[in-house]
Amino acid sequence: MTTADSRALAKRLLACLVGGLVLAVMWGPQEGSQNDYYFELRTSLGFPRVLIFLGIGVVVFLAMTFWPVLRPFLSRPGVWPFLSGLLAVLAGQTLMHWYDPLGDGKFGTVATAVSQTKGISALTSAYFGWLAWTELALVVVLCAVGIALRLRLAAWIGGALAVIAAVLTWYAQHSVVAKGGGIDHSLGWGAVVVGYLVIAFAAGVIALSDAQVATGRAFADRLLGWRPGLPLVIAGVVLGLLAFYVGRWFAPSSTQYNTDFGGLHAVFAPTALASWAMAYLSWAGWVLLPVAVVLAGIAAYLRSRPLAWVAAAVGTLAAIYTLATLYEFSKIAARVAPTFGSTWQNLGTGGWMACGAFLLLGGAGYVAATAESAPQQGSEEAATVSPAAPAQVADEARSRSFLTAPGAARSLVIATIAFALFYPPTATSFWQSVLVSEIGIYVLLAVGLNVVVGWAGLLDLGFIAFFAIGSYTTAYLTNSLPIHPPSWLVLPPLAAIPFAVVICLIAGVLLGAPTLRLRGDYLAIVTLGFGEIIRIIANNADAITNGSRGTAVDPSRGVNNVPHPSIHIGPLHITWGLNQLQYWYLLLVLVVIVVVLFRRLENSRLGRAWAAIREDEVAAQATGMNTFRVKLLAFAIGASTSGLAGVFFGSYIGFFTPDNFVLNNSILVVAYVVFGGMGSLPGAMAGAALLTWLPEFLKNQVPAPDRQMWIGAVVLLMMIFRPAGLLPARRRRIELSADHLEEASSAETIAVPSHVGGAV
Amino acid sequence: MHKGFFTVTAVMATAGAVVLTGCSSGSSGGGGGGLSSPAGSSSCTGGGGLGGGGATSGGASNQSYKIGFQGALSGDNQQLGINEINAVKLAVQQFNAKGGQPFKLSVETSDDAGDAAKAPAAAQQLIQDSAVVGVVGPIFSGPTSATGKAYAAANMALISPSATNEDLTKSGFTTFHRIVPTDGVEGAAAADWLASKFKKVFVVDDTTVYGKGVADVVAAGLKKKGVTVLRQGVPQNTQDYGAIAQKVTSSGAGAMFYGGYDAQAALFAKALTAAGYKGLRMTGNGGKSEVFTKGSGSAGNGWYFSCGCQDATTAPEAKAFKAAYQQAYHTPPSTYSPEGYDATNAMIQAIETAAKSGSVTRQAVEAAVNKLDYKGITTTVKFAPSGEVAQATVNLYEQKNGKIVELGDIKKQK
Amino acid sequence: MTQFLNYLVLGLTRGSLYALIALGYTLVYGVLQLINFAHSEVFMSGAFGSYLVISAVVGNGKGTSSWEVPFVMLLGVVTGAVTAGAIAWSLERVAYRPLRRRNAPKLAFLISAIGASFFLSQLFGKMFNRFTNNQFPPFFNDNSVAFTIAGAQVRVIQVVDILAALVMMVLLDRLVNKTKLGRSIRAVSEDAPTAALMGIDIDRTISRTFVIGGLLGGAAGFLFGLNFSFFNTMGFLPGVKAFAAAVLGGIGNIRGAMIGGLLLGIVENIIPTLPWVGTEWTDVVAFIVLVLVLMFRPTGILGERLGRAA
Repeated sequence: MTTADSRALAKRLLACLVGGLVLAVMWGPQEGSQNDYYFELRTSLGFPRVLIFLGIGVVVFLAMTFWPVLRPFLSRPGVWPFLSGLLAVLAGQTLMHWYDPLGDGKFGTVATAVSQTKGISALTSAYFGWLAWTELALVVVLCAVGIALRLRLAAWIGGALAVIAAVLTWYAQHSVVAKGGGIDHSLGWGAVVVGYLVIAFAAGVIALSDAQVATGRAFADRLLGWRPGLPLVIAGVVLGLLAFYVGRWFAPSSTQYNTDFGGLHAVFAPTALASWAMAYLSWAGWVLLPVAVVLAGIAAYLRSRPLAWVAAAVGTLAAIYTLATLYEFSKIAARVAPTFGSTWQNLGTGGWMACGAFLLLGGAGYVAATAESAPQQGSEEAATVSPAAPAQVADEARSRSFLTAPGAARSLVIATIAFALFYPPTATSFWQSVLVSEIGIYVLLAVGLNVVVGWAGLLDLGFIAFFAIGSYTTAYLTNSLPIHPPSWLVLPPLAAIPFAVVICLIAGVLLGAPTLRLRGDYLAIVTLGFGEIIRIIANNADAITNGSRGTAVDPSRGVNNVPHPSIHIGPLHITWGLNQLQYWYLLLVLVVIVVVLFRRLENSRLGRAWAAIREDEVAAQATGMNTFRVKLLAFAIGASTSGLAGVFFGSYIGFFTPDNFVLNNSILVVAYVVFGGMGSLPGAMAGAALLTWLPEFLKNQVPAPDRQMWIGAVVLLMMIFRPAGLLPARRRRIELSADHLEEASSAETIAVPSHVGGAV
Repeated sequence: MHKGFFTVTAVMATAGAVVLTGCSSGSSGGGGGGLSSPAGSSSCTGGGGLGGGGATSGGASNQSYKIGFQGALSGDNQQLGINEINAVKLAVQQFNAKGGQPFKLSVETSDDAGDAAKAPAAAQQLIQDSAVVGVVGPIFSGPTSATGKAYAAANMALISPSATNEDLTKSGFTTFHRIVPTDGVEGAAAADWLASKFKKVFVVDDTTVYGKGVADVVAAGLKKKGVTVLRQGVPQNTQDYGAIAQKVTSSGAGAMFYGGYDAQAALFAKALTAAGYKGLRMTGNGGKSEVFTKGSGSAGNGWYFSCGCQDATTAPEAKAFKAAYQQAYHTPPSTYSPEGYDATNAMIQAIETAAKSGSVTRQAVEAAVNKLDYKGITTTVKFAPSGEVAQATVNLYEQKNGKIVELGDIKKQK
Repeated sequence: MTQFLNYLVLGLTRGSLYALIALGYTLVYGVLQLINFAHSEVFMSGAFGSYLVISAVVGNGKGTSSWEVPFVMLLGVVTGAVTAGAIAWSLERVAYRPLRRRNAPKLAFLISAIGASFFLSQLFGKMFNRFTNNQFPPFFNDNSVAFTIAGAQVRVIQVVDILAALVMMVLLDRLVNKTKLGRSIRAVSEDAPTAALMGIDIDRTISRTFVIGGLLGGAAGFLFGLNFSFFNTMGFLPGVKAFAAAVLGGIGNIRGAMIGGLLLGIVENIIPTLPWVGTEWTDVVAFIVLVLVLMFRPTGILGERLGRAA
């Protein structure tokens, strides 16, 4: 070993140890003290504790150093499923909830509670006592042995144990719920069960020979890829079975009325339930699922177009029928017992899962019907990826066969829609609220900013200003500010949308016109300044905006909360109230409209013009394009989307202050877009959803004040390991993989900032 | 339609397959005890023959409830939230440690970052947890405005230690209470006092809801008495108060009132001294704390404070609180810690009252909160029907030699 | 006149601190064409680092005799600078170099820096505290007046701020223009691939540029904490202002950053004190001035002179 090598090793060891120390400071509940600045350092770097973290550092160091040795093992079949299963089990047993009514509901808490409870089955108490961790250790050891030594027997035993562990987990958790009662929405045990099943699958893969696995994989790929819609059918079947046999369909707060689909008929037989709904409960539900499955399955397998359309129709109608039945019996339940809440409440997960299953099956029919008639559309993605073929890494090629199969993109969209429609009703009110107030609104904002940052390549750090303008416009038009509009201009919130959009459009042009001639970073600081100016004006102009008091009820100034949205058109009356779900569906409609419009825009002449200035403004100008006008359009379109989000926000929350529009929020939206993958609509949405979900998820995992620290770390790591973002735009993916080729040849020039794809 | 309900119930009772689980049948307890269904969630009325509620669940001695806390634990004002949650946890720990209690308590924390936009989700986190029977918070006026209705709909009693905006109790938030007087009360008293001494007063605010609220009331009160008022705002996140201090000094105003919080008031105090301002300096409740004393050093001597509170440093309970807080968190209690402690103890007393009268439900706790009469370390907690604390005297304080001392009722001061 | 001078002194004090921070932005921009968003946290770390040392040296500050004061201040400047330099160095290693290796899009650097900024400010909050009122021990009387010009008093601490900033800026100017390191920084700013071909180690140059920016920022952090207060999120606002100052002067241009910083500091102090503009409009005025300047000089007052970075 040369001295240079050993110096590099020493440096790496040092870095790993320092990393361990930083982790020691990050991890743990201890806060610093103002009286004693070394207090936190002393406690978190105290003697026995620090050894653990230094140990972690050493482990990382060893893993990095011996990576070449480890790598062949990792590429053996079954390793990745094994590791992901293990991760799921560990997450389930350490982070997630097992039983909601109890304390923080995590595994450890439940285990302590079980140990103090008498009269619980021996198996359950053993499971929570020692079995859970022991079996995990056994499974891990056996599978590891199976992988490392290619010992089939160990892998088979490990797999069998994993299945047993999955069953045990299910049993133990259910006996706890049976014992404790109460309403339980926990997912931790589910994660563990799924994790074990994945491990069992991995063990099977490990045990089978490579050739067998390859055949199996090829078969699966062929099946799922060659028959558009089949993946959706499979998902639909699984979901449908869960819905009809496992899920609860009626779950009011007093647990004794809980029932699954089988018992529903008996419960509602004596009530005045409409006969069509009764029919669903007694036989139609049972019949519809197999019919839809068989139709969709056959249609997908035979690629029969007429049959596929029939399957699509049946699936969709069945979903609607299910929905109507849910409405009907929840209405009856609410009428006979107001304690059960109002219509649409107290439904378990089963009904919604059934709706989702039917939608997936119908979607499968649709995919099968359309993919065959127009195979070109489905394989569009494959076609654009292929130019970079030489740069494709092996595993990417493998996943390509699955993800770029005809209809795959559509299948994903349908699955996402099914999820967005039917998951939220089963979530707790906290998550429903997060979905609306955080995830949904920021997804809309990210989609808007994606036009400016991702497509046109303009760095806008004052995006939230347009959000503010939209919100305040709504407040003005709904007569909620100290200055009042003329009476003919007082509007309900949703009618304010066109006004807010137009005003934000104008504001975007007003800001853009003088500033868009500035280059990259100058534009960033000017937009940042604009954002701050808007916020400070809103804060100081008491007579117009009510200043920092916001739109709180303030009789002395004639200020009211912004009213909630409502629709009164002819016979249609919808009023939004305190129920979060209503807002979610309204938001979903808005997001879908915007996304559909933007998809068209992306592939239009204008979208291509944006791409052109983003890549090379001078060249774009040379082709005779009016780059200024094009940039201005991007700015204005982004701004008006932000304004739309502002209208929704204002009337959803009713009360807002200038503090809701701080600079930090602008920065965050940029971070969402880039984190998700610049220039990619799904990426921007996924980035916003993930990064707004994360802090809420971390609420129960780390001390609240530390959340931002962890988020910062996640963002940093993400950018280090996946600089193009979560779901990079196709163009950028190609650029990056092409650049990887260059890297080997000329490391020195790569060290210099390259302007390839530079978005600013 | 009521008839229909009985049919449903009867069917459920007979169709055994429908009844998945009974009410709480294990021994009970939350964080420390065994399994039980949380209180209030299982109204096991009607048939089934499985027993009802806590009556049969192995005695009530192991019942467990949660006190919710909603406040800013992240974001710009996180330290205020941390000051309060520490006090809340301390009060609950002390309650649990006393022993012989009919129930155990724990704290469910919900962070709203002090942001109205994040408040609805934070509130739902507490509302959906049926073990939470009362909430200390929300600690800021903005989040309170955004969530008051949801809490009211859930019958959840709120006792806020620090949300002072006047309009909160006029917005139909039926379950909202606070143990601090509104901006209006202390501002008006301060204005009267200042008007009796000066002809020209400089009023500075920190442009937040609280600071601007107090400053507005003071300025209006002064103007009514014919005093010349100069008005300026300095954003709360300002660090350099040099310019405004210079402006106050050169204005020749006889007195200066600052509406804002302690940390900023301390910086302002230093800048005023540096600029050579000789007039009277005064601030409200938000500035009266050890943070101010410590931060301003000698520059804080001679500052006056108007506060509708009792002195939280002299009473023996207050000293015990200070010691216990220092012991637990290695840092002395800070802004709004004593208020958080009082609010929690008041909430605990309400839960105890509810427990004595039978069932600890949100409704019962809310009813008990309305009837509270609890003497805390900062104030006597007794609510008017509106939810305001029934405390009329505004006291005047002055910092002398690095200590804030009480001068007595501001109306009796010269 | 006295009034005007008073505000001018206040403006110069604040402006010299802005200028010190702005230099960090401008130096990094010079070599990477990137805004280092985490520089505000580098600045903040300087204040905490120097506090740890100074409080250990002077205790509660009561017993410090007057001849010790200059040394304590020097110690503060040095320790603040060293801490921040170390943080800046690790920042470059963790948040910038891996992305450069992967040839990441330019915005990815921005986001990784934002992530690092969140991380650092909250880590320091956890490590020390999250109060917004940490103060250095009062080891000298910060109201003592150094001298008086035309009735306007200039305090010792203001003299220290301005002098320290001046000295450091002169040193930096000499470093960039007269030394080998300065030449390589300029070369990398001008044309990095060519500089690489000429045998300049680009990684090392970039790393050192970060450290130099960090040293200046850390010194500013100490001075800032001494003047006002220090806390874990103290960097955000001065960071934004200093970034604005750097752009105002012409980003990438070292003398531009100095002038931009001073100008912004003076504008912030003088304009809002005019009778018809309140101090609550300070930031609005500052940003409007910035926009106006950019309208007429789209690359800042002195213009971008990348490469000839002086």
